[in-house]
Amino acid sequence: MSAAFDDSSDEQQLYAADPEWADVVPLQQYEGVDPIAPIFYSEEYKDATDYFRGIVKTGEMSPKVLKLTEHIIRMNPAHYSAWQYRYKTLIALNSPLKAELELMDNFAIQFLKTYQVWHHRRLLLGALRSVDVAVRELAFVTRTLRTDTKNYHTWSYRQWILAHFNDEARLWPGELPWVEELLEEDVRNNSAWHHRFFVVWQSGVRRDEVDREEVLRRELAFTKEKISLAPNNQSAWNYLRGVLDHTHTPYASLTSFVQPYTVGAPSDPEDSIVDLENPRPSAGAELPSLPALEFLADIYEAEGGDGISKAVRIWKSLADEHDTIRKKYWEYRIKDALHGAQ
Amino acid sequence: MSSENPPPLNIPLHIRYIQSLGENQDDLVFHMTSHLRLNAIYWGLTAVAVMGQKDALPRDLMVDYVMSCWDEKAGGFGASPGHDAHIHATSSAIQILTMQDAIDRVDVPRVVKFILSLQQPSGVFAGDSFGEIDTRFLFCAVLALSVLGHLHELDIEKTAGYIRRCKNFDGGYGAREGAESHAAQVFVCTAALAILDRLDEIDHDTLGWWLAERQLPIGGLNGRPEKLEDVCYSFWVLSSMSILRKVTWIDAEKLTEFVLSAQDLEDGGIADRPGNQVDVFHTLFGVAGLSLLGYPGLEDLDPVYCMPAKFIEAKGLRTNWQSLPRRRA
Repeated sequence: MSAAFDDSSDEQQLYAADPEWADVVPLQQYEGVDPIAPIFYSEEYKDATDYFRGIVKTGEMSPKVLKLTEHIIRMNPAHYSAWQYRYKTLIALNSPLKAELELMDNFAIQFLKTYQVWHHRRLLLGALRSVDVAVRELAFVTRTLRTDTKNYHTWSYRQWILAHFNDEARLWPGELPWVEELLEEDVRNNSAWHHRFFVVWQSGVRRDEVDREEVLRRELAFTKEKISLAPNNQSAWNYLRGVLDHTHTPYASLTSFVQPYTVGAPSDPEDSIVDLENPRPSAGAELPSLPALEFLADIYEAEGGDGISKAVRIWKSLADEHDTIRKKYWEYRIKDALHGAQ
Repeated sequence: MSSENPPPLNIPLHIRYIQSLGENQDDLVFHMTSHLRLNAIYWGLTAVAVMGQKDALPRDLMVDYVMSCWDEKAGGFGASPGHDAHIHATSSAIQILTMQDAIDRVDVPRVVKFILSLQQPSGVFAGDSFGEIDTRFLFCAVLALSVLGHLHELDIEKTAGYIRRCKNFDGGYGAREGAESHAAQVFVCTAALAILDRLDEIDHDTLGWWLAERQLPIGGLNGRPEKLEDVCYSFWVLSSMSILRKVTWIDAEKLTEFVLSAQDLEDGGIADRPGNQVDVFHTLFGVAGLSLLGYPGLEDLDPVYCMPAKFIEAKGLRTNWQSLPRRRA
């Protein structure tokens, strides 16, 4: 819960001593009650928030209010009232919102995990209504993701930009290549896999993607390739299952792909028959792959008949050897399948 | 610190830690967290209550402080005095006042109006007039209305419908439609659906498995694939699994060891993982997780409301969740 605190600002003159603020009546934090969780303020913070309460009371919306709110949110980026009032003031003053975005750029990088930072940008984008600005925002998001590749707010904000502007010409086309680059850098980035699903399957159909069969082929090929690079990567296997479920494609259609991942020894590297449809585990991969075993067991279970005992064998190996932390889950699967088979 | 044979839960020490939070001289940390003040009090109160000593914190002072957070203009509670009303602070206030048997201090019709006013056309809730939307706020709204006995004023289908649209390909839920599955958001969506009696919206098998997959070999739980374990997920994940009646899928022994090894045995409190700095947030969720795991000496916790079960039972709000049986010391 600790927050970054930038103490590098110059010595700040108190608002109480600033002639520009002489016309504002500062209001103290509520007093009269001995709070159970007292807040011990620094002098600077107390002074600034006293004057904030003062201008909120009178409803003043002026340039000096912008300076004050910026000062407060720099000290405490989670002060949501200050953010809120700042936005209202920007609109009331008809301030250049693009400049506000730029001012906030460095800010956001410093306080990446603060909700308000992102919500403020969302409001600005909504008010500006410009695809140009949205293009710039996507580039900004790309930059901030470099410092924290899985930041939840950042990813969610990117999804909002894409959905809100829904621009086929300038916003959507770059997304797939972009997310591919990220997966190239870190194939285990769950946020990137989720984003891929969002772009490909959950945000309408792009003009050049109307052939859904082709899209499915492409996605399966992509995912299989990534699995061959990192056979135990949960995110890739979750993506695979998601694609199959979404397109109502039977898991069994991937049996020949999955099988080499379920055995202990990697395939003979001398085996020169390269099957592009079924890329094999890369050299040095840790086998058997647990997600592959789970996947194969699901195929067997869906078969029914003899498939059930094959599935049970796999689940037993997971419970007793490969994935003992989830023993109780695998024992549940066994019981459930045997019960269903009766 | 090794998690093999970790020390038992040192209840008296953690209670003293929570009591001492009011005396903290670190002004920087305090003013930076004023936006959490009411939520922090709820975390502290629930923690001491689950540890069996609700009265370790002064009741009257607390109730007065909560009431000093009332925003008369908006008809809700802010995070600390003078802060604008926010739905998260409002639900924390209602939870605190319920546990302190002081809900009679609240202008219920006004609070209900404030909460309902935050629902968006899509069914999700905003946190306040600032407009930030998140399934967390949807849960806060549903919880608060339920505890106040005014759930009937909510459009259930509209609210559950938004959660339905948040369901991801992996069976999980995110902060809003289109957002990545995350264990904390899974909790708020699952708990909200439990209160709304719409657990049928969930793909129980897929989500249950996704949640079970949060457990790492060392015993701790993470919030999404390939992320680090964190004590707070021992609540978010565990409570979701309790609601889905699949809590037995977690290796209870290893998770218990993980949480216990994250205690600060000098000054009290629990951290996000062993060796790190403690805070009241992780102290609550560590203790809450242990309660759901049946750890001896703790009170039963209702995983839907994250409050001691007896308060929820007294209001006739208990749903069909399942935790591990309480072990003898």
